Amino acid sequence: MAGEYIPLLVAVPLAGAFFCALAARKSGVLADTIGTLIVALVLALSIYAVVSPPSTHAVGGWPAPLGILLVMDGLASLMLLVVSLVAFLVMIYSLSYMNAYSGRWQFHTLFLLMLAGMNGVVITGDLFNLFVFLEVASLASYALVAFGTGKHELEAAFKYAVMGSLGSLLLLLGIAFLYGYTGTLNMAHMAERLGELGVAPITVAALVLLLSGFALKAAIVPFHSWLPDAHPSAPAPISAMLSGVLIKSLGVYTIARLVFNVYGASPDLLNLLLVLGAVSMGIGVILALRQWDMKRLLAYHSVSQVGYMILGFGLGSPLGILGGLFHLFNHSIFKSLLFLNSGALEQATGTRNLKEMGGLSGRMPTTSWTTLSASMSISGVPPFSGFWSKLIIVMACVEQGRWFYGAWAILVSVLTLASFLKVTKFAFLGKLGKGFENVREVPWPMRFGMVVLALLCIVGGLMLVPEVKEMVLTPAVRVLDHGILTLGEVVRL
Amino acid sequence: MIHSWLPYVLCILLFCVGVYAVLSKKNLIRIILGIVIADYAVNLFLILLCWKKGGEAPILQPGAMEQVMVDPLPQALVLTSIVIGLATTAFLVAIAMRLHERYGTYDITRIRELRG
Amino acid sequence: MSLENLFSLDLFSFSPLAWLAAAFAGLFFILVVIYSLNFMKGRKGLFRYYLYTVLTLVLTLGVIFADNLLLLVILWGFLGLLLYLLIGFGRTPSTPATARKALLIVGGTDAMMLLGLALVWFLVYGPGTGLSGLAKLSFSTVTIPVAGGLSVAAFLLLASAALAKAGAMPFHTWVPDMAEDAPIPVTAYLPASLDKLLGVFFLARISLELFILDSTLGIVLMALGSITIMAAVMMAMVQHDMKRLLGYHAVSQVGYMVLGIGTGNPIGICGALFHMFNHTIYKSCLFMAAGAVEKSMNTTDLHRLGGLAKLMPLVFGAFFVASLSISGVPPFNGFASKWMIYQGIIGTAGNGWTWIIWLTAAMMGSALTLASFMKLIHAVFLGQASPHVTKIAESSRPGTPFALAAPIAVLAVLCILFGVFADRIPFGELFSPVLAGEPVFPGLWSSTSATILILAGLFLGMVVYLLGSAGKTRSVAPFIGGEDLDARPSMRVSGVDFYSTVKDVKPLGVLFDWAERKHFDCYVVGLRFADFLGGILSGLHNGLLGRYVLWCLAGVVALYLALIG
Repeated sequence: MAGEYIPLLVAVPLAGAFFCALAARKSGVLADTIGTLIVALVLALSIYAVVSPPSTHAVGGWPAPLGILLVMDGLASLMLLVVSLVAFLVMIYSLSYMNAYSGRWQFHTLFLLMLAGMNGVVITGDLFNLFVFLEVASLASYALVAFGTGKHELEAAFKYAVMGSLGSLLLLLGIAFLYGYTGTLNMAHMAERLGELGVAPITVAALVLLLSGFALKAAIVPFHSWLPDAHPSAPAPISAMLSGVLIKSLGVYTIARLVFNVYGASPDLLNLLLVLGAVSMGIGVILALRQWDMKRLLAYHSVSQVGYMILGFGLGSPLGILGGLFHLFNHSIFKSLLFLNSGALEQATGTRNLKEMGGLSGRMPTTSWTTLSASMSISGVPPFSGFWSKLIIVMACVEQGRWFYGAWAILVSVLTLASFLKVTKFAFLGKLGKGFENVREVPWPMRFGMVVLALLCIVGGLMLVPEVKEMVLTPAVRVLDHGILTLGEVVRL
Repeated sequence: MIHSWLPYVLCILLFCVGVYAVLSKKNLIRIILGIVIADYAVNLFLILLCWKKGGEAPILQPGAMEQVMVDPLPQALVLTSIVIGLATTAFLVAIAMRLHERYGTYDITRIRELRG
Repeated sequence: MSLENLFSLDLFSFSPLAWLAAAFAGLFFILVVIYSLNFMKGRKGLFRYYLYTVLTLVLTLGVIFADNLLLLVILWGFLGLLLYLLIGFGRTPSTPATARKALLIVGGTDAMMLLGLALVWFLVYGPGTGLSGLAKLSFSTVTIPVAGGLSVAAFLLLASAALAKAGAMPFHTWVPDMAEDAPIPVTAYLPASLDKLLGVFFLARISLELFILDSTLGIVLMALGSITIMAAVMMAMVQHDMKRLLGYHAVSQVGYMVLGIGTGNPIGICGALFHMFNHTIYKSCLFMAAGAVEKSMNTTDLHRLGGLAKLMPLVFGAFFVASLSISGVPPFNGFASKWMIYQGIIGTAGNGWTWIIWLTAAMMGSALTLASFMKLIHAVFLGQASPHVTKIAESSRPGTPFALAAPIAVLAVLCILFGVFADRIPFGELFSPVLAGEPVFPGLWSSTSATILILAGLFLGMVVYLLGSAGKTRSVAPFIGGEDLDARPSMRVSGVDFYSTVKDVKPLGVLFDWAERKHFDCYVVGLRFADFLGGILSGLHNGLLGRYVLWCLAGVVALYLALIG
């Protein structure tokens, strides 16, 4: 097996986190260096994972299902690429942004812990192991939300942590149910056993618990209410990580795994996903339209956009899954970019309130055009990346005869455009706001992160060029479309 | 013999007690306690899962392969879960203390500046 | 797909009509750039301004020549963004709001177009074919007979994008706003010319090439066109800002094109396309003339204008010609195309009695257009100079710089050429090659000889006047109630309120009232509704942790109930 490198994806950031905590307490530069190097290394490993064939790794040499199996299939490598790409750019951005905060080593420790947790969730093939990594990432994210230790940060962190813990408990209970029923924790083995044993009340109960827990992490309506508090309260790079990748690796990815690879997608389950997705899309965007706090507006859009992904998965067809996954990729890029933009605006102007801004396009040209390209991307304006994934999702709806959902996706897309035009209108157009005569563009590390992400927004459609698609997206689609993966199939990868 | 499902039901009840506390209590500390109770209910549930009638401690003796053992895996899981629960609780308590500094109250219904 | 495949897709098709549209786009680009050289002088970000202008041209050419539907949708969508960026060069306080509104309406209908594209893809390839078919949809290979709900929906969705781009109802509201706020060259460039070309051309292509329309959809289009003509011209009559008034006419005229395409017969469609070209000429001319007025008077408020004919004779002349054109007065170009559209409407008489309504609307529309231009010309160029104008005329001699005058003059000359020689230049030289194989239109107006007759008539009238009564009239200074007007500027009749009494007619008054409260503006109505819903939802997010947890538990229960069934 060629999967010896897989544990490194967790081990490297974990080791980096401890090293930061132990050695870099005194020196912010050292912490920065460690953080950047580690994330760069993880990015390199992820790219390697994408280009190399799928593989597995049995931890400690224990064969599955006894030991923990790490599975690097197409879906996992796609998620890893998303996570580490965003993490790398956010890390560079934060080198300059986090100057406003104290405690560099704490930031980097928590950041790397969160990264390790997310990577772990994505690559593990063991349900309890997944839970542990999910908790690692969640705990780190609770702490990062509270990082500023202001009033609102603490309030948001407390609510987030309470609800997050509740979600974790539901998950653990669900895992216990499933373990009691199937006698195994390996997901592939579990899928096999569930197939053999058939549906029972307890499997439905376990499914509900797991789905609720993951939906809470993914902030799907009605489990979303922590997100608009928590995401805006974190420092901007962390908001970008939370909205950009955390909810996806902890929530969306896990739901997809659970529904497609463990339980097998039944029509009822898919219908449920469709409804969940559609409700999230609508409620999220309508709430976003009313917001004046830029980050809160973005946070509500995360709720709405996650709905698109779930909708895509809920269609259950290869095209729908492709749309969902592609939208996941694109959303990671443009949503993290938008949060970085909001951070740049906040740092430059000292406010997040759109009413107080205005006319900043002349003062902050880079922020202005990167925000515009991300806004256009999330609103599905061609040829930006969001257009392509929305097009695929709409096509998939049409293909399945789900006219209502197709029209709904379009309507939400129009409302999204409305709300982002509000952002660009109030922040960048019009007369320069009071007291902003001396506002300057942010320093280069922040600009670098934003510009690279903006370029990715612009050329994101190239992901559909067949050569690239075959390498990155199609394997992931195949994993989900395959349905239940048996242990044999996973091990043979 | 007690019905074999009774302990499970009690576990779920305990879980509900915890959730109820989170739901209805105003005091931050009580909410945290609710989480802890629910957490332990789930842990208890996991332990119950591995129980077998007449089962012994899962320590493999040479030459005694046939003995009835309780399932060792959930015990390992519970240990992990307890550690996670501890970390969460510690975090929550720390945040609750800081919240009290900022808001001057432990009443969650008065800590609600984020809304809309 | 590899590169060879990309080129083998036949992304573009170069039909003669497309070449003609492209030539017009190029012409307007050149004129607008010349115009901008003076008009935009001294503004910030001119490099970006010209960059966007050039990009707009390139993308427009791409859309005009595109054969591939996906390519068209992409280029089309990006044009909306460029429109937004160009509006951003406006300097009025309401510019940001207008820019947002324009992109929201145009971009929103682009999103609908996306659904339409998906439906076309589905209608052609059916389920389970994956993405590969999408890139192969093209005008030349796909033909969909309109039958059943899906194809109708697909057509309407695609048509909505075309209507929004062209500024027809119900997606018109961005045009008047933009006319008021955006810089004049941008207005003359986009909604007046390029966007009209794109929208109507696309509408014609989907109506003719992509779909085979039935008469019901034709009637829908004709109804939309008629409503657009009448409603917009009524709104235009009561405006008191020159640019906004012209903006409403830009909407009203689209109605004729939609109406013409809706007729479905060759002469109607041909008339619509001809009207599209004519419209771009006279409308740009009108906007640019308004820009010249704005440049020298710093305002386009009708109350503060008047008597400019003496100060800006060339602009007045051009404006006068273009006004007659837009009002459909022979022998100018607007008449030539409207005449064809009328005939097209009459040609649909076989489909029932409705043609009378459309014909009435079209003719009434022309008459009202003339009426509103009488008001406009009176208020701006004739009548008495307002104190504002007098003051500026005293302090500086307002002239029209060459860069502003040249495009206006060129367009006015084109108005005359295309009208007087309607059957030769546009048809003989430009349209005939395009319409090879089409029947010769029976009712085509022999414009040149008619012009000679008109001129002869005018000349005769002049002779009669001079011979009969020239010596018997006397001219005095204007007066009201015996008071000398020149001495009392406060009693000046500006012409702004010429038609305000139309609001006193009962049902119309209510409609005007609703229009003023924006009840007909899909943008405002939609956002109000969303805001109302949002108010309810955001009231629910009241920051109470217990409530949030309760929602989660309710969610768990709901999931359970959904899955147990």
